[in-house]
Amino acid sequence: MNSNVTSVKLVLLGEAAVGKSSIVLRFVSNDFSENKEPTIGAAFLTQRVNIGNHTIKFEIWDTAGQERFASLAPMYYRNAQAALVVYDVTKPQSFIKARHWVKELQEQANKGIIIALVGNKADIIEDGEERKVAREEAEKLAEEEGLLFFETSAKTGNNVNETFLAIGEKIPLKNSSSANDQHHDTNNNNNQRIDLDNNPVDAASNAPGCSC
Amino acid sequence: MSFLGNLQQKVPFFDRIAESFTPALTRDERFKLQYRLPPDEKILDDTNADISFVGAFSKAHARKESGQTMAYVYSGKLYLTPHFLVFKDTFDENSCDMTLNISTVKRVERAPETSYVFALNVTLYNGTKILIQFLGLRYRSEQFCNLLKDKLKENIPVAKKLPSFLDTCYSEFLINKNVLKLTDINTPKAGLGQKYKYPGNPQLSQEKMKLRLWFDYFKENGLNLAIVKNHIFQKLIRVGVPNRMRGEIWELCSGALYLRYANSDEYQNILEENQGKKSRAIDEIEKDLNRSLPEYTAYQKEEGISRLRNVLTAYSWKNPDVGYCQAMNIVAAGLLIFMTEEQAFWCLTTLCENFVPGYYSKTMYGTLLDQKVFETLVSERLPELWDHIEANDIQLSVVSLPWFLSLFFTSMPLEFAFRIMDIFFMNGYRTLFQVSLAILKVNSEDLLQAEEDGMFIAILKNYFRTLDESAHPDSDDPKFKHITKFQELLVTAFKEFNIITDEMVSQERNKHRKRVFENIEIFVKKTQVRQMPKTFHLKESDLSNIYEIFYQSVETYKISLGTGSANMNFEIFSQFLGKFCDWCKPTSNDTDPIFIQQKNDFLHKLFNDWDVNEAGELTLNNVISGLDKLVTKDLMELLTYFFSLFDGDKDGELKREEVLQMSEALLFLTTPWKSGIYVDDLTLKTIEMDIADNIIKENGDSLNSMEDLTLPTGVTINEEKYKNEQIERYLKAASNFLKRSFEYAKSLELPEDFNLIDLSDNEEDDIKKKKFESIKHNAALDPAHPKAIDVATFRMIILADETYEIFFGRTLRESIHVDEPCDADPSKNRALRGMFDGIIADGRRVAAQVRRRVDSVATTKSAAASIHTTGHSETTSNFANTSRDDRFEDLDDFSSELQEEHEDLLDSPWVEMTMEKEDSEGPERKLLNIPTKKENIEQPDESHNLLEFEA
Repeated sequence: MNSNVTSVKLVLLGEAAVGKSSIVLRFVSNDFSENKEPTIGAAFLTQRVNIGNHTIKFEIWDTAGQERFASLAPMYYRNAQAALVVYDVTKPQSFIKARHWVKELQEQANKGIIIALVGNKADIIEDGEERKVAREEAEKLAEEEGLLFFETSAKTGNNVNETFLAIGEKIPLKNSSSANDQHHDTNNNNNQRIDLDNNPVDAASNAPGCSC
Repeated sequence: MSFLGNLQQKVPFFDRIAESFTPALTRDERFKLQYRLPPDEKILDDTNADISFVGAFSKAHARKESGQTMAYVYSGKLYLTPHFLVFKDTFDENSCDMTLNISTVKRVERAPETSYVFALNVTLYNGTKILIQFLGLRYRSEQFCNLLKDKLKENIPVAKKLPSFLDTCYSEFLINKNVLKLTDINTPKAGLGQKYKYPGNPQLSQEKMKLRLWFDYFKENGLNLAIVKNHIFQKLIRVGVPNRMRGEIWELCSGALYLRYANSDEYQNILEENQGKKSRAIDEIEKDLNRSLPEYTAYQKEEGISRLRNVLTAYSWKNPDVGYCQAMNIVAAGLLIFMTEEQAFWCLTTLCENFVPGYYSKTMYGTLLDQKVFETLVSERLPELWDHIEANDIQLSVVSLPWFLSLFFTSMPLEFAFRIMDIFFMNGYRTLFQVSLAILKVNSEDLLQAEEDGMFIAILKNYFRTLDESAHPDSDDPKFKHITKFQELLVTAFKEFNIITDEMVSQERNKHRKRVFENIEIFVKKTQVRQMPKTFHLKESDLSNIYEIFYQSVETYKISLGTGSANMNFEIFSQFLGKFCDWCKPTSNDTDPIFIQQKNDFLHKLFNDWDVNEAGELTLNNVISGLDKLVTKDLMELLTYFFSLFDGDKDGELKREEVLQMSEALLFLTTPWKSGIYVDDLTLKTIEMDIADNIIKENGDSLNSMEDLTLPTGVTINEEKYKNEQIERYLKAASNFLKRSFEYAKSLELPEDFNLIDLSDNEEDDIKKKKFESIKHNAALDPAHPKAIDVATFRMIILADETYEIFFGRTLRESIHVDEPCDADPSKNRALRGMFDGIIADGRRVAAQVRRRVDSVATTKSAAASIHTTGHSETTSNFANTSRDDRFEDLDDFSSELQEEHEDLLDSPWVEMTMEKEDSEGPERKLLNIPTKKENIEQPDESHNLLEFEA
């Protein structure tokens, strides 16, 4: 395994049919399908992205959006380092739901989780349909809660890669020369599995600064 | 933290919920599940019997016609239910398993009697003959026959529906066409596959062969409503049901056939009754219609979409507790390929209720439960793989949850998923576990190499994609090589994991149920508390308590099952408040019509104010927002809110009628204090002052420093005196309120200089004049002067009376116990603890009072003592403020509702208190003893420390 590869667990949350799976499909396969089957439980996909001379491997957990599946969500956002909270810019209800998700993640998920608020289906507005969630309102929420914010279109691909790249840039990179330090410096549970694999001794060592 | 702490205290509450849902099936319920009979069937009688079944078109029948009788005889048990005769072979239950709808019986006659055999000849609508020979006591057999006779009569009306129902059965069509050679018959309506083809490779020859086998089976063993299921039946299912036959076989095996027959018009009626109606489920369904098996041609067209819509919406109306859950769309879409709408509807119904109970419920408890069960089974049956999964922190449910929830429809190619469904409908839910275990087992070698979720998922994805390929591609044996991965899977599932029985699954479910339900409740609560409106006065722990009390009150709502309505109507609202508001607790006044009227009037005011959506029901969030306003610590804010409750027209003024209403409400609200059940802070203060006075009087000048202070060893409290004083005070406050309201009320008459000011503006003048006249006119109807008070006046009136001022400033807020976790049995313990706390707190406060007095005498004498005292008297000196130390929480309970209890409690304790000195000399103990026995009043203790209070 290339030691310059950092794995990032990312989870997608948001109301049903806002386009979570479509965003993933666009990002992973640069593809779009109008009638995607609803995700049952969760789907798992991966995609690698190069940022500078580092590679970030996104392990993407795409979840079901219907309200009653919410009780399963903690299973999927457990240990996630990043989250996309997606809403539909033409559906105000989906924005309310997005607020709830942000709140839940901040309370329940890993500390330091990077959250991106994503208003999807921006292409519909360009086609003349009425926007129901003001950009300013979403920007305000993003600012208040410290979220990344993008308006995307999984259909046209607009801003989809940018969203993931912006998250990638905020992820503390795993530095091959000082993998040890990295483990201690970052507080965002940078994939422990890999750290343990690469540094089996480290886990048991009494290295200073390791308090987790 | 406090939130979680509270939850832990609630465990007994969860226990009760979990217990009440632990299914202990009755014999009837087990029987119905086993034979897939409709819910309203029950065993009326059973008897041992030998039976032989001679199908109308069977070889045996043919021989019989020609005079030779020969048929298998089975020995077993015969059951009678309102609509069915069921027989099961005792020795080998797979050899003969007959389910006969009574309406198919055409004739029953006694067989020619031999000396000891009592037998019936039963003839069915199509000529099938069944011989029943009763075993056992003659009178029991007669009893059974009599009951059967009754049922036969009762089923005559049902039999009228039989011909038209049979027309919908493909099996009947096969017989009519191929045996009876009828020509004027139509193929019965079927699923979308009839027109849009069935998924998978059309191996027509195989399809035809399989149909032929079923045709032969029906001839020998009967069909649809009157069929014997035996080994061959199971074998025919295991090799895969032919597509044309599948709809009916699924119906038959699942029992949906019986439901459809018994409720022939229901599906159409549901659709018609609810036409055009909106619901959340319908919105959710609409979102998914285009996303249900979209690769299947029919679901790209209106025909398929509209059938799917009908079935899903009909089910959402039939079972609103479930409504619609994603995955149901996929299952229903699968069913509709083989079934008509009505067939699919009943199949979905029985599926949701019996096969995968709770999977699609609002909390999906069944899904969560079965994932736990599955994990346990994996850990027991595939320990090596389970260890690997654990060690690598792989989320097994990510792969397995969709298998269960969408019955493999989204996981493997449909043609294979349907094959599994064939067996699933015959064998029930254990099939899902057997197949899932087999999938893991077959792939275990590869899976043991997977160190992360991604690889784990990829291996299985690839496996499903290649199910039609050879399981042993490298084998030299062509026969072996010919075996596909799917065949291998079935063999593993149904041979190796045959040990997984329904009982085993059901036991595991019982083991995990409680824990799963608890987790759901904790999750639901967390979510709801998180989504509660912003509160200004209620703390998070208060919200948690209110949540508990709310859902304890809404008893029909089951949190973990997600069923029932979570809103409260007025009656429940009243009970809800009674659980934690002192003025709403059930009292002896509840039979007094005047009191009831006052109570209802005031509670209605609250209810209507909190019901912001005018729904006639309160949601949890309504209640939170409402209570938040009521427990404000800001006196002015509370007064304004209270005022607004009575200002019906929101004009900022209370008219005579409204003032009277408010006065009634105040009478109601202050009842517990007005009748001396609770003691308010004014009374408390008086008691403390009196004790302190007496201590000073007793000890006189000897109290030179705090070190010398001896607290009284005995105090008797003349309860009646204080009680009466308080009662009098409240009555006076009430009358003062009314008096002042009308005294200070602003007259509605316009000022006399009315005309002088607005000389210039004649037109407006006229209008004002008219208005004035009309006010005057209306006023004339009222003999009293038309008067109104505004909010400022109202505040002034309240503040003018110390009792009401304290009431609004403190007593009312503290009578709303949102901060006390609700117990299963709140009455006893709380009262007890309240009493102790009250006395202890009282003692401390008395001590503080004494200290304060001593201080004022000896301020200069002992600086150290002074410092000491301030520390402890803080609570008392703060008394005038509205803030209050939590230690005095239960002071109001000083005298409890029950007089006897009160006395008991006062009898018991010698109250010991500890006071810590601040100068680190270590704690110094002082005793405040409060013996309150009546004897003590009459025969005072000789101790010089005794203080006695008299009226």
